[in-house]
Amino acid sequence: MGIRMIRRTTASRRMAVLAPMGALALAIVLNFLLYIVMGNDPAAVFYALLLEPFVSWSSFSEVLLKMTPLLLIAQGLAIGFRAKVINIGAEGQFILGAIFASAIPVWFPQATGGWIWPLMLLLGGVGGALWAALPAFWRVRLNASEILVTLMMSLIAGQLLAYLLVGPWKDPMGFNFPQTVMFQWDAMVPTLIPGTRVNVALILALLWTALAYVYMQKSFQGYQLVVGGLAPHATAYAGFSEGRAVWLSLLIGGFAAGLAGAAEVAGPMGQLQRGIASGYGYAAIIVAYLGGLHPVGILFSSLFMAALYIGGDNAMVSAGLPVAAVRVFQGSLLCCYLAAIVLVRYRLVRDGQEVTA
Amino acid sequence: MPAPLLSLRGLSKSYGTVRANRDIDLDVAEGSIHAILGENGAGKSTLMKLIYGVESPDAGEMRWRGNLVSPSSPNEARSQGIGMVFQHFSLFETLTVVENISLIVPGKKRALVARIRQLGQDYGLEVDPLAHVHALSVGERQRVEIIRCLMTNPKLLILDEPTSVLPPQSVKTLFETLLKLRDRGVSILFISHKLEEIRSICDHATILRDGAVTGNVDPREHDAHDLAQMMIGRDMPEARAFAAREPGPVLLELAGLDYQPDDPFQMSLKAVSLKLHAGEILGIAGVSGNGQGELARLISGETRRHAEARDEVMMFGQPVGDLGAAARRKLGFAFVPEERLGRGAVPEMSLSDNSLLTAHGLGLVRRGLIDRGAEDAFTRRCIADYDVRTPGPQAEAGALSGGNLQKFIVGREMELAPNLFFVSQPTWGVDIGAATEIRRRLVDMRNAGVAVLVISEEIEELFEICDRIQVIREGRLSPSLTVSKTRVEEVGRYMIGAEEGAA
Amino acid sequence: MTKPLNRRRFLQTSAATGLAAGIAPSIAHAQDPLGIALVVPSPVGEVGWSHALAMGLEPIKAEYGDSVNITILENIPEGPDADRIMNKVVADGAKFLLAGSFGYQNGAMQIARRNPDVTVLHASGFMVAPNFSPFAAKYFQGTYLMGMAAAALSKTGKLGSVSAFAIPELITSINAFTLGAQSVNPDIEVSVVWVNSWFDPAQEQDAAKALLAQDCDVIFSNAQDTPSVVSVCEEAGAYVFNLNSSMKKNAPTKYLGCVETDWSPFFMESVKGHLDGTFEGRNAFLGVEDNVVKVVDWNPDIPAETKAKIDEVEAAIADGSFHPFTGRIVKQDETVGVEDGETLPDEAIVSMDWHVAGVTTPLPN
Repeated sequence: MGIRMIRRTTASRRMAVLAPMGALALAIVLNFLLYIVMGNDPAAVFYALLLEPFVSWSSFSEVLLKMTPLLLIAQGLAIGFRAKVINIGAEGQFILGAIFASAIPVWFPQATGGWIWPLMLLLGGVGGALWAALPAFWRVRLNASEILVTLMMSLIAGQLLAYLLVGPWKDPMGFNFPQTVMFQWDAMVPTLIPGTRVNVALILALLWTALAYVYMQKSFQGYQLVVGGLAPHATAYAGFSEGRAVWLSLLIGGFAAGLAGAAEVAGPMGQLQRGIASGYGYAAIIVAYLGGLHPVGILFSSLFMAALYIGGDNAMVSAGLPVAAVRVFQGSLLCCYLAAIVLVRYRLVRDGQEVTA
Repeated sequence: MPAPLLSLRGLSKSYGTVRANRDIDLDVAEGSIHAILGENGAGKSTLMKLIYGVESPDAGEMRWRGNLVSPSSPNEARSQGIGMVFQHFSLFETLTVVENISLIVPGKKRALVARIRQLGQDYGLEVDPLAHVHALSVGERQRVEIIRCLMTNPKLLILDEPTSVLPPQSVKTLFETLLKLRDRGVSILFISHKLEEIRSICDHATILRDGAVTGNVDPREHDAHDLAQMMIGRDMPEARAFAAREPGPVLLELAGLDYQPDDPFQMSLKAVSLKLHAGEILGIAGVSGNGQGELARLISGETRRHAEARDEVMMFGQPVGDLGAAARRKLGFAFVPEERLGRGAVPEMSLSDNSLLTAHGLGLVRRGLIDRGAEDAFTRRCIADYDVRTPGPQAEAGALSGGNLQKFIVGREMELAPNLFFVSQPTWGVDIGAATEIRRRLVDMRNAGVAVLVISEEIEELFEICDRIQVIREGRLSPSLTVSKTRVEEVGRYMIGAEEGAA
Repeated sequence: MTKPLNRRRFLQTSAATGLAAGIAPSIAHAQDPLGIALVVPSPVGEVGWSHALAMGLEPIKAEYGDSVNITILENIPEGPDADRIMNKVVADGAKFLLAGSFGYQNGAMQIARRNPDVTVLHASGFMVAPNFSPFAAKYFQGTYLMGMAAAALSKTGKLGSVSAFAIPELITSINAFTLGAQSVNPDIEVSVVWVNSWFDPAQEQDAAKALLAQDCDVIFSNAQDTPSVVSVCEEAGAYVFNLNSSMKKNAPTKYLGCVETDWSPFFMESVKGHLDGTFEGRNAFLGVEDNVVKVVDWNPDIPAETKAKIDEVEAAIADGSFHPFTGRIVKQDETVGVEDGETLPDEAIVSMDWHVAGVTTPLPN
């Protein structure tokens, strides 16, 4: 007897809550078996992976630190995704943001003043937006797929970063290592909570979330973007500009990613180095979809993803889990989630099952 | 009397608090053409979905040839011998007829082609199996859908408003096919709101109102007025008296518009000319797929022309060819498109949010932010004034029946108080009560001095409300015909091209 | 690899033992094993830099057994993640931190400053603190010897190097390699391809192929953690050698040898120092004389007389009578790098930013 899927007439709200929980449970069961086979203590692993990030302030502050760029980028991307403008090049926009922000401490390492870090963040946002403007231009003018162009622009951004670090921006006192000078004090985003690395960028990310909420739920412009994503013909019928939707989507996404890049380089990083391109731009795509492309959902999914990262580190440090197994957990959780959310729109029915009259 | 082919007893189905079907009894005899009559929202579609296995009933029983059944999917219904042709076709335009059919029906392509030809001959459903669907007329596409159903040898064929998409000539052919099918033992459930059609072809009619059966009659023994009364539970609204009046200034003008679309599946328009005056209704008749869609988009602004061609479309004396839909709306134009879902309305959004689509200029947006209160009030007004049957402004547009959504969209556009109003297929899939109401309002607008343009495939409708008619065929527009001096057959000849030489 | 308990269970266990034995927690604390953590940028695997560091801990494990608790954290990217993980492992109780990459320097130094009871060894850096020792290997001693062997075997007179980053450590290796080769054949030339990555097998292979295409017939795989270059050379029939750990099995016939680093003497000494309270931060620049740098797996194709000369030079390096960077050495730009008879001091070696004459590829910038 087989199982068939039948589309629900309306999305199930109950499933929308149950599906992520079920996915987490399934991933835990699957990985439980893996840890048994690998000879790790599953209880210790899951404790480190899922609970430890929340039990101490020092590790929770690290969760918040990791969450900040994810939240910023994902909120920006989600706006575009709602409009079906698929920007998968946030990684490149993030790198450009870091590069733009670094220009000040690299060119003016002696400069002082409280204006430096805010200007750096602003420059970073502008840099990311500019990097996203190119795909927007090509999409609107030449109808080039923004999916491909943004991805390719990310590769170019990586090369540009490598060039700057081995070339003109290399720290002259840095033994030829590919990194810039350490930034001066005023070029660092102020720490928010003493004793932790959480900085003002977290506040910006939360403000950005509030803005995204108002923009997408309350503003007419956000509404137009959503219409474009749901029903392109309705956009033309209403006379909303498709080109403007593309520009807005990419510029907002690029600005957010650039801002995140600037906050990273002027925050925990403290200098521009190759490690800046650590995959936040791609992880944020997952965060955006996990959050259902909704600003509030993304707030939770970014917290969740960040906790998963920190938990993964913990599992390596405290429970001796190899890094590959951490990735397996993160990946399997995502797969389970994607499988589970199908149930929100579909229900399972056994073949030949009598539907009671 | 032998056991009926299909027998329903006490079938009920609710969606939340809405009782779509209440205690329905229905017997469909073998070899009969059985009409299901009812207004939109009366529960016809729900009933068909229950029979076809798309939905499961909450209560009641269904017997098929005397055996208790409960189909849980269309597949199961098909395997028992129930076929259904939906109002909106589900064919892939880029595939050929036989390729489309082979997606559902197993078998070698050559054998399928032979069977398609055979069925075509047997039932007058002639269509080239190797033709691409995009090259077929709507009537031919419907034939493909019917053939696809017949390939599974059904005993019962459900047709959802089959004539609403057909020109008069094709309706006649379709009826001949249906009679042949009946004579060979296939029963037909025929959903319609066109009373004359039902009286001419059906031998039995079940009438639904508010989800319940209100009558089981032989339609040949009742006149249209009786049937309508059973259907809407009150007397039919009178068609509005037609006040003759002098036409005002020209509000819309196309002068020799030529248009070559980028999409090869679309019709190009050649030397299209029309003039529409304030205070008159101009109808565009024609078999669907002859360029109506392309023309509508050019007038609405969904297709924008380059700046040099801007004066190919003139509104209120201004060249608007390069303006988008929103800019034209600002000038005093409003438009109801033929596709409601995905164009006139966003199915996944609430009615409230769908109000914003075009009515955002009516104070629903303040300083860039949506005024939810104003949005809600506007939507409630549309729902009340245009008799939209829905739980409320927060209902998703996609959940409304076609006719109710049409009433909502028409209402929304009329609320814009346009001076130039353009409706494509105003009463497509809309029940008789609502259709009459929509037509009455169109005439009211005309009488109030609005210029109204109507594209419709229903000639009777155009004759009822229009001052003048032009016929579109293969991207060309016929000369203007004054309705009071024209007979239906004349328009029909333009539709099928017989008048070409004369024009 | 020893797996530590997680923190909660760790606390439970120690509390339980404390109760059962009826002894004060402070004594129980004194009996805690020494937590040693190694953080490395790439997978430990079976060869390469990270592997060599991990192997350096094996004798400590053998010597101290249960009284040390070793955690190895591999594949940790430089930057905020590494900083967090190092902080975490110290917060979890590690007192001896091995930061295995230059890019960990700032984070590791901060930990050392905040935690005076923690000893930090940091690879390849230059900062020193009382509880913080940077360490590096004098690879150039080994590559000088390799240069001698390479020149004796080369038919084309052209040697090549696939190198990770143009940092002083790698530059000195190439320079010494060149000088060693020139001591056998003064006309020898060395080409370099910088791949600007510690770990990019595909690019490393491409670089090796490019060098082979330029007629280089002995290749120096400079700081690659994979056998990428070594395998390519075996296939192409060119001699090849590398650093840190032997890859002979990837090139059974053409493997010239390995400049191996055995960190265990230094690690052992530092752990002892930590436990005795005698540890003192210093700039540990370790070579043949410290038993840290060794050349192993010499290829039998090397002519006996060359091999004899190599052994002679190796002994001279070990006893301090010979130094590869002894003048007169001419730079690539034909200025004098080291005057006749002079020897380059360590400070100049660890910050070397020039190539000797004979290296044909200019340095980046």
